[in-house]
Amino acid sequence: MREAHFWLLQLVTGLVLIVLLGLHMIVIHLETILGFLGLGAGGAVAYASVMERAASSPWTWFYIIFLALALYHGLYGLRTIILELTLSRTASTVVTVLLVIVGIAAFSFGTYVTWQAYAG
Amino acid sequence: MAEGRKRENYLGIKGWVRAGRYGLERYLYFLQRLTGFGLIIYLLIHLYETSFRLRGEVTWEGVMGLFDQPVFAVLEYVVMAAFIFHALNGLRLVIEELGFALGKPRRPVYPYETSLQRQRPFMWAIGVLIIVFLVVSLYDFLV
Ligand code: HEM
Repeated sequence: MREAHFWLLQLVTGLVLIVLLGLHMIVIHLETILGFLGLGAGGAVAYASVMERAASSPWTWFYIIFLALALYHGLYGLRTIILELTLSRTASTVVTVLLVIVGIAAFSFGTYVTWQAYAG
Repeated sequence: MAEGRKRENYLGIKGWVRAGRYGLERYLYFLQRLTGFGLIIYLLIHLYETSFRLRGEVTWEGVMGLFDQPVFAVLEYVVMAAFIFHALNGLRLVIEELGFALGKPRRPVYPYETSLQRQRPFMWAIGVLIIVFLVVSLYDFLV
């Protein structure tokens, strides 16, 4: 893939994140507004509520996909910010490799936790 | 760079913040970065913080209890506000960068309009939407 494709992927993941992150923010934070709509109001971060989502397959898939897209979009963005300093070729490669490692580590950790909470 | 010469007009880190006499859109882009940067750092912390759900109810409620302070309520709204700005302004950027929202083709007459000027009504529309969302979510945080 060429650079332009990675950038396009950032834009596309951004569009998908509007839906995923939007849903996440509404469910976790906007309890009053959910209440107006007559939907389950209150205590989204109470342990029982957290574990109820953790035990559901749709939510588990939701979190794993959401995490992958957010990490790609965010870390690619961070790379753009750093590479704007127009570093040398070697330094740019080092930055890219480091960010890929951070991404894979964070994705593995998050997926492990989500999976443990689902299966455990 | 290879020759190690001093580069003309090179701003380096200063270039991240300095937008000079460029228009409002340039400053919005700086905010897009700032909020994006905040969100990715927050995501990494959030990933760790929420992993405590594996340690059982007592630990989880203990961790949540740490955040049960006015400071964190304010910070929570800051994250919400960063998200609202970044998502809506980001939607505008995707649409504009791909060349939409330019209006009908017109005969070029002097003084010529730049694409930024032609996309400006769309920017204001998104701006209003951002403010509406900020107010609605603030209301939710306050009640
Ligand atoms: C909610 C939906 C989101 C949308 C629509 C969106 C959209 C965008 C767009 C259009 C850009 C500018 C890219 C460019 O013009 O080159 C951008 C930049 C950025 N985004 Fe997002 N984004 C979203 C969520 C997020 C999240 C959740 C994070 C963090 C995890 C994030 C982190 C970043 C960063 C760090 C940048 C800076 C990149 C740069 O300066 O070029 N974004 N986003």
